[in-house]
Amino acid sequence: MDWLFFGEISLAGLAMGGLYALIALGFVIIYKATRVINFAIGEIMMFAAYLFLAFAGGMEMSPWVAVPLAVLGGALLGGVIEKTMIRPMLGESPIAVVMVTIGIASILVGLVELIWTADPQLLPSFLPRQPVFIGELYLAPKIAYGFLIGMAVLVIYLLYFRFSRGGVALRATASDQAAAYSMGINVRRVFNLAWVFGSLAASVAGILVAATGGLSPQFGIIGLSVLVVVIVGGLDSILGALVAGVFIGWLETVAGAYLGGEYRMPATFAVLAVILVFKPYGLFGTHEIERV
Amino acid sequence: MFNQLMQKGRQLAGIGSLVTALGLAAPALAQDKEPIVFGGSIPLSGVFAFAGIHGHAGLTDYTDWINSQGGIDGRPVQYVMEDTAYEVDRSVAAFKKITGSYSPPVYYGDSTGFMKSIASELNSMNSMLMSGASFATALTDNEQYPYQFIPGPSYSQMFGIILEYIASEGEGGDMPTVAFVYSDTEFGKDPIENSKARAAELGIDVVEEIVTKPGSVDVSAEVLKLRRVRPDYVVFHGYVLSPINEFMVQMRQMGLDTKFMGTFWSSDKLIIDKMGKDADGYMGIMPYNYYDAEESGPMLDALRAQAEKSDPEAGYRPTAYIQAWFNAMVWTEVIQRTLDAGKELTGDNMAEALASIKDWDTGGIMGIPVTVKDMSFPVGRIWRVNAAEGRYEPVSDWIHLD
Repeated sequence: MDWLFFGEISLAGLAMGGLYALIALGFVIIYKATRVINFAIGEIMMFAAYLFLAFAGGMEMSPWVAVPLAVLGGALLGGVIEKTMIRPMLGESPIAVVMVTIGIASILVGLVELIWTADPQLLPSFLPRQPVFIGELYLAPKIAYGFLIGMAVLVIYLLYFRFSRGGVALRATASDQAAAYSMGINVRRVFNLAWVFGSLAASVAGILVAATGGLSPQFGIIGLSVLVVVIVGGLDSILGALVAGVFIGWLETVAGAYLGGEYRMPATFAVLAVILVFKPYGLFGTHEIERV
Repeated sequence: MFNQLMQKGRQLAGIGSLVTALGLAAPALAQDKEPIVFGGSIPLSGVFAFAGIHGHAGLTDYTDWINSQGGIDGRPVQYVMEDTAYEVDRSVAAFKKITGSYSPPVYYGDSTGFMKSIASELNSMNSMLMSGASFATALTDNEQYPYQFIPGPSYSQMFGIILEYIASEGEGGDMPTVAFVYSDTEFGKDPIENSKARAAELGIDVVEEIVTKPGSVDVSAEVLKLRRVRPDYVVFHGYVLSPINEFMVQMRQMGLDTKFMGTFWSSDKLIIDKMGKDADGYMGIMPYNYYDAEESGPMLDALRAQAEKSDPEAGYRPTAYIQAWFNAMVWTEVIQRTLDAGKELTGDNMAEALASIKDWDTGGIMGIPVTVKDMSFPVGRIWRVNAAEGRYEPVSDWIHLD
């Protein structure tokens, strides 16, 4: 056993897992507050990455300006989607709302092809290119810096949810909508806030992932990989999103390295199947008891 | 910006469903006769849209050009297509719709999956010859696919040409080592087994095989594997852009002096446009001259003139455009030969006409006269990126596999 190789592979996997965790966080925030499974999360990531391409590539803005603008654009998109397409669906069946998010995903793909064409794209380089060594372990610079940025965003999110008024309102609404409403919390505004924050996290992750692996209108498919993460972690658990994101990222990379690239997805779906059998609500998800 | 959006919107709106492209400049005599129909399942949307859009432009422009030359045997050519989103079921539906309304003797298939799926129906129809985007090795099996051909070398033949080039770079019997990196798709896996056998014949050691998902993926773990075996060459197959760029950039960051090569769909100018100076030194196999190559010839000049005429703003035309044009060139040649022989346009007769193509001068599209072998055109040349010039430059002679 080459332990150095195993260490390097594990490090790369954990770093990628950090980005999965960030995407999963975006997914979980929206689900936790609004009970909407957002199948358009991957496409929101994609849209933000294309916005970055437009700002940094087309308009030649500094990445320091382009990244915040693109992230804000993605967050704004999430807010607009909630207000114009999800809110009118309040009270409708969950399947209908899910179908709306699938439709939104399709519209975003079409919009991107219309504006930026169907050609594959690479984002302008904005992360340091010097190799990163942790001891003797090599880590690709984009992955290393992407992980650091992703973790910083995660910490900011956790602090916000813990200490800010908006965060408390969001947690209260997620915990009991009726009670939150009776305590004077503007639940509709919280719904909108959840979409804005969820989309913001996804937008940061979208730009970082696209900086690593490139961008195309099919980029949003990564949202499906993250669906595995949130189901394993528990659809409504932020802790679950973090733990499962890092674990699935590590597992996928190790399986790919030792078994071959074609075993990445089977490995993660095998874990998903096992989790669903033994813990149907995920590792940290809330048990919902329905009495009929 | 708004005008550009509106213009693109109009362009895309026009290709949403059934599109019929008629040659506008066909002589009056030709237009009086029943048209010869070029059918096509074209991926204007979906994962292959980047190529499908340019392929559609190539077929449309060729149709206009051939009609301006009087059509085929005095008959006008009509190009009929439908968008498939690169999905086999939609490609099959498009085929049924088009063949239900028209009788195309030739047809453009958008994927290996579609061409394999439709083979049994094609065989029972015996009324059509099919080619398209696929260079799949399986299609060179004349028994199973008698009415389908490849508009260039098969993927295995492309690897064969690449491996011959690599072998020729061996100095003093010290043969370079190679790693294959391919996508986990039918397209990606197609040439691998044949190519490993060919490498063994040439004495080239295949030191690593890497399989990845196509497109946007993190490949840092795979790069670590390659760092341990330090191949002299990495050959990519089954990709368009990503993750080729990440392999090249990360391996160079590690200080490796590996050279990188790719097959047809991995060798478009897109790589230079998107990677910039990072693309320098990348090599690809191409059976056709690039649009901006220094070479010329009557057909290559006609292609450039027609492209300029149809869209003066477009500038460089990608390899998918030239590939589609070449498909239509072969169809024209085959139909003309069949009609000249006084035969009907059946699958058998057209396959026979195709097999009769020997030392065919393609007018500069391919750099040397070409002879059909096993329903393919086994010709290619190795080109290398000169990033400063923003183009591919030839680094080998044209190679015609026997």
